[in-house]
Amino acid sequence: MMKRFALTLPVAVSILTLPACQPQETTEAEPAPAGALMDLTGRVMGTQPGPDRPLIEVDNPYDSTPNVLQEGRRLFVWFNCYGCHGGRAGGGMGPSLRDATWLYGSADQDIFDSIAEGRRYGMPAWGTKLPVEQMWKLTAYIKSLDTPMEPEPPPPNPVYPNPPPRRDIPGVTAGGGGGG
Amino acid sequence: MTETDERTNDRHTGGRHAARLALLAAAAGLAAAPAVAQDVEYVTGGDGSGNGMRIARTAAAGPPGEVWLPTGDFANSRYSELDQITTENVANLQVETTWSTGIPRGHEGQPLVVGDTMYVVTPYPNYLFAYDMTQPGFALKWKFEPHPDPTAVGKACCDIVNRGASYADGKIVYATLDTNVVAVDAEDGSLLWKTRLGNVEEGETTTMAAMIVKDKVIVGNSGGELGVRGWLKGLDLDTGEVLWTAYSTGTDEETLMAGEQFEPFYPKDQGEDLGVSSWPPDQWKLGGGTVWGWISYDPTEDLLYYGTGNPGVWNPDLRPGENKWSISIIARDPDDGQARWAWQVVPHDAWDYDEIMENILVDMPWNGEMRKLLVHPGRTGFVFVLDRVTGELLSAEKFHQATNWADEYDLETGYPLVNEAKRTHLGQTTFDICPSSTGAKEFVPSALSPRTGLLYIPAHNFCMSYKAIEANYIAGTPYLGADVVMKPGPGNYKGKLVAWDVAEAREVWRVEEPYAVYSGVLATAGDVVFYGTLDGWFKAVDATNGEELWKFKTGSGIVGNPITFLGPDGRQRIAIYSGIGGWVGANAFESISADDPTAALGTTGAAADLKKVTAPGDLLYVFSIPEQ
Ligand code: HEC
Repeated sequence: MMKRFALTLPVAVSILTLPACQPQETTEAEPAPAGALMDLTGRVMGTQPGPDRPLIEVDNPYDSTPNVLQEGRRLFVWFNCYGCHGGRAGGGMGPSLRDATWLYGSADQDIFDSIAEGRRYGMPAWGTKLPVEQMWKLTAYIKSLDTPMEPEPPPPNPVYPNPPPRRDIPGVTAGGGGGG
Repeated sequence: MTETDERTNDRHTGGRHAARLALLAAAAGLAAAPAVAQDVEYVTGGDGSGNGMRIARTAAAGPPGEVWLPTGDFANSRYSELDQITTENVANLQVETTWSTGIPRGHEGQPLVVGDTMYVVTPYPNYLFAYDMTQPGFALKWKFEPHPDPTAVGKACCDIVNRGASYADGKIVYATLDTNVVAVDAEDGSLLWKTRLGNVEEGETTTMAAMIVKDKVIVGNSGGELGVRGWLKGLDLDTGEVLWTAYSTGTDEETLMAGEQFEPFYPKDQGEDLGVSSWPPDQWKLGGGTVWGWISYDPTEDLLYYGTGNPGVWNPDLRPGENKWSISIIARDPDDGQARWAWQVVPHDAWDYDEIMENILVDMPWNGEMRKLLVHPGRTGFVFVLDRVTGELLSAEKFHQATNWADEYDLETGYPLVNEAKRTHLGQTTFDICPSSTGAKEFVPSALSPRTGLLYIPAHNFCMSYKAIEANYIAGTPYLGADVVMKPGPGNYKGKLVAWDVAEAREVWRVEEPYAVYSGVLATAGDVVFYGTLDGWFKAVDATNGEELWKFKTGSGIVGNPITFLGPDGRQRIAIYSGIGGWVGANAFESISADDPTAALGTTGAAADLKKVTAPGDLLYVFSIPEQ
C-alpha cells in the first residue's frame, strides 16, 4: 500500500538525483547560500561535518502494514541480506540492523541510502539492481525489527534468553518521522 | 642447513643460534637422518617415550628457539623442543611485556620470532609490527601498513582475521584481507613486492597464513560462503609472480590433477574431470572448496598437504553430486602444484563441514610397521589418520562423541556412513545435527607431542538445526540457502581440550570448558600444554594428565595460537594474542545482537553469552619466568 504519493520511478538513482520528485511533506530545502558548493546530486556542501542544513529527506512511502513488512522480509532473504546481516538481521559480516546503533543514520532516507548506494566497508550498492519500491519495503522491514510489528521474529536464544532491551533514545533514533 | 638460511641467521643473530641448536639437540633427542632433497632432522620424544613418533624438521623452519612459520614447523606439530619451562616451574610464569595492536578484532594467528625481532600481523587493516626483543618491553622497530581495500571487510564471512605470516630469506610474507600477498623486508619494513590474487568484489578474501615452502609462497582464498571458487596458488618468493594455480573445482587441467602422477587411493576419487562431472552443469564455477587453513609440507616426500572448504551453495539439494574437490585433503608438488593424491572427506556436504584443518605429519609405527602418517582432527568430529604417501585412510574415529551426522567411515571405500536422518534438505528443517557447521573443532590448530604420543585437540560442543531454503546467486553476496541456528551440545560444557592417543585412536583425558575452545594449542618438551579460552584465560596444563598448572586472565577472549621461543638472553618465552573474534568469537562484538540466534551464520545461538564474560581486545602478551 502506498502512502501519500505514488512513486513510479524505475530505479533508485532517479529519486536521488531528481529533486523535483520529492514529496511535498518533507522539509523544504532552503535555497543554497551564495557561493555554496553543490555536490553532484544538488546537495549543498559546507564547512561543517555533515550538511550545513537539513538534506531533503523522503519518508518511506509505504506504511508498515503486515503485507509490506512480510514482503520486506521476503526480499531481505531473497537478496541475501540475511547472509551478511544475520537470519533475523542480528549481524554477521555486516552489522546488526536490529540494535539501537546506526552507523549511517536511522531515518528512512538514511536506511534507503545505505541500501541504494552501499557503504564503505563492504555493503553492496543495490540501487541499480532493485526497484525503488523494493528498497522502501526493505527499509520498512528493517525499521520493524525488534518491534511488535516484526514479521517472523527470531526464536529465543538458548544461551541468552533475556537480552537487555534495546535502548533507543526517544526522538533520536526514531528517524525521519514517518514510514516505519 | 641451506646456504640461504645460514646467511640469514648470521645477519640476524650471529653465532648464538648454533649454541641454542646444540643445546636443544642434546635435550630433545634429535636423530640425524639421511638427507632427501633437504637436510632433515627428526624430533622425537627422546628415550622412554616409547611411542616411536618422529617429526621431520628442516633448517627452513628456523632454529628451535625461533618461530619462522605460522605452524611452528612444516609438520604442523606445534610441538616445541624448548624445555626450560616445565611442569615444575610453569607456575612462576609472569607477564614480561604486552603490546596493543590497536585493532580490537579477532587475533587468530601467532607472532613470528626471527633473530632478535618479533613480528605481529594484525586483523584488517593488516598492519605488520616489528618489535626489538633486546629492549625492555620489546621496543617497536617499525610498522608496515599495506592499506587493503575496505570492501573486503564486509565480504569476510567470519570476522576480518589474519592467521599469520611466514619468514624466509630476509622476507616476512603474508596475505592481506583483500587477496593481496605482500613480502616485507624483515630488517627495515619496506615493501619488496605485492601481488593481487583475487577479486574482492566477487567475494574473495584471504585470511590464511601464507606458507613459504622452499622458494614458493603458498596461499589460498576464502569466501566459501559467497559462491567463490576455491584455489591454491604458488608464488615465486623472490618476485611474487604467480607460478601455478590449482583450482578446487573444474577440469583436471585447472585442478592440476591431469597426468599419471595423480593417483587417488580410492576408486571414488578416481576418474576424469571429477571437478566438473560431480556437479550439476556450471555449478562448479560457484563451487567453493576454498583454502583458508594450514599448509603442511613433508621434505622427505617433497609434498605439501592441505584441506579444502565447503561446496558452494550451502543448500545441498541445489548441487546434486559429490561436489569435488570440496572438503578434500589433497597432496601436491610444491614446485608445480601438480596433485599426487586427493581424498574427499565429505562427498556432497550438507552441513558446511570445511576440512581445512591442520594436517599433522608424523612418522610412527602403525600396526607394527613404521609409516608416514597424516593426522587430521576434523570439523566433522573424527580424527582421520592417513598414509600420507598413498592417501589411504587408516583410521577414522570420533573424538567428539555427540557427532551424529555419520556413524563411521568405511576404510575400504573411503566413504562416510552418513546418518540420513541428519542430512539437510530443501524446505525442511533438520534438528539436532551434531556437530554444528563450526565443527567439533574449528581451524584452530592442535598440537602433537612425540613425548606423550598425544594429540591435543581444541574442541567445541555445539549442535544445530538447519533449514535449507532457496538460494539466489548474486556476485559478492552470501550464497547459502540455509537458515541455521546453533546451540550448545549435550553435557554441561561448550568447549574442551581433548588429549587423544593417536596410536590407539581414543581419548585419554579431557579438560572441559564453559565456552568453546577456540585457540590453538602448543605442546612443549617441558611436558606443558598451553591453550587459551574465549573468556580470556591463558592456561598451562600437564601434558600427561591435563592437570591445571597455571593460568592467567588476559584482557579479552583468546582465539590465537600460543608460541614459544628463546629470547635474546637465551631464556624461554611464551607468547599469545588476546583479542576475541572469528566466527564464534565475534559474538562478543556489539555489532551482533544476542536476541537473534541465527545471527553470525547461526553461531549466536550457541555463543551470545560471550558478551557477558569478555569484550573485544587487541593484545599481545609475552610471558617468562623471572630470573632468580
Ligand atoms: C556482502 C555483505 C552484505 C550484504 C549482502 C548486505 N549488506 Fe548491508 N551492510 C554490510 C556491511 C559490511 C555494512 C556496514 C558498512 C560500513 O560500515 O561501511 C552494511 C550496512 C548496511 C546498512 C546500514 C546500517 C547502519 O548501521 O547504518 C543497512 C541499512 C544495510 N546494510 C541493509 C542491507 C540490506 C537491506 C541488504 C540486502 C538488500 C544488505 N544490507 C546486504 C554488508 C552487507
